Amino acid sequence: MRPVLLAGHERALTQIKYNREGDIIFSTAKDQHICAWFAHNGERLGTYHGHQGAIWTVDVDPTSTIIASGSADNTIRLWEVKTGKLLKTWDFPTAVKRVEFNEDGTKLLGVTEKRMGHLGTIVVLDIKVDPEAEQSDEKVMTIVCEESKATVAGWSYLSKYIIAGHEDGSVSQYDGKTGDLIYNVNVHELGSPITDLQWNQDRTYFITASKDKTAKLITAKELEVLKTYVADTPLNSAAITPKKEFVILGGGQAAMDVTTTSARQGKFEARFYHKIFEEEIGRVRGHFGPLNTVAADPTGKGYASGGEDGYVRVHLFDKGYFDFNYEVERERQNRLAAQGGN
Amino acid sequence: EDAERISSADVAVVQERRRVLEDWYNWREVMEEELAEERAHLGLPADPVEELLKAKAAEVAPNGEEQVIE
Repeated sequence: MRPVLLAGHERALTQIKYNREGDIIFSTAKDQHICAWFAHNGERLGTYHGHQGAIWTVDVDPTSTIIASGSADNTIRLWEVKTGKLLKTWDFPTAVKRVEFNEDGTKLLGVTEKRMGHLGTIVVLDIKVDPEAEQSDEKVMTIVCEESKATVAGWSYLSKYIIAGHEDGSVSQYDGKTGDLIYNVNVHELGSPITDLQWNQDRTYFITASKDKTAKLITAKELEVLKTYVADTPLNSAAITPKKEFVILGGGQAAMDVTTTSARQGKFEARFYHKIFEEEIGRVRGHFGPLNTVAADPTGKGYASGGEDGYVRVHLFDKGYFDFNYEVERERQNRLAAQGGN
Repeated sequence: EDAERISSADVAVVQERRRVLEDWYNWREVMEEELAEERAHLGLPADPVEELLKAKAAEVAPNGEEQVIE
């Protein structure tokens, strides 16, 4: 796998997102600007300037017209992808740690930080996916996290549920229309924060990453834990790959927490697990610090990782990746092919 | 005797994987059907984004004509 190194951030990466076509990558970092890159060659398409603090999160609507970002400057901002123009700013009392569009881009959720005098919340905004349109100031819904603050959240299929991962390791399912809490389930070790939540393509299930060194595959409808991936390091991010039945995990101990030796340099790894069999199948090294974010190309051609080291590494999968199959998978494919041939 | 023991352990592993794999695809099939039904019931297109992309393409090049940039 030949990586393309994207050097455009001066500080630790916080989130990476591909657009739906998989040709553009958006990245955010603690250095206050958002970058857009062409996925195939790593050329920079543009930057989005305006935030006054670390940027924690970014998302792009399904038509790649607008992006939303959330920052330590207590704002959510909306930008036009093509021109880099700032379209709208929403102010909050605390930092915004996560934003996500629903499946048609008409709603945006934001996770706000808990701070003295302010509980953590999940807010919902109505969005017009049109750079010319006037965006509404109004927050159409606010979910207050009384028990444990949300660290991450996202929209399920049909925008039916809002699913949140919490600081205490639990996962909540809220009604996507009313914001009512339906379930709260302890899925990760009590007190181990959930650091990431990413969907499969139809948003019927998702993967969580946690500081408890595991990632879990969970259904949106029942919050049933289907699979558990056990790593040997705290995890910051997890992604589900389309086309192949894999998941990618990223994490690592921060440099100050481990004995730093030259032998460790460049050895922070992305870990690949078989999604169905829960077994580790490979690692890709390269970063000089923990992996803060991993993202899978929605078209299945590759993945990207963003590190504490300030780099984005984009990998295009090679033949070996696509050919990799367990014997029982090959058996199944052959059986299906035979049935299809009849 | 050793070889026999190993091969029966292998068989058990393979059988377990076969079961796990079937469980997964069975669940996916049920879930995908349920989702398709729910979409149809709500009168939504099968692919939530396809229509949006068509609309955007129509806006960029009205009447399906390609824009000629000189």
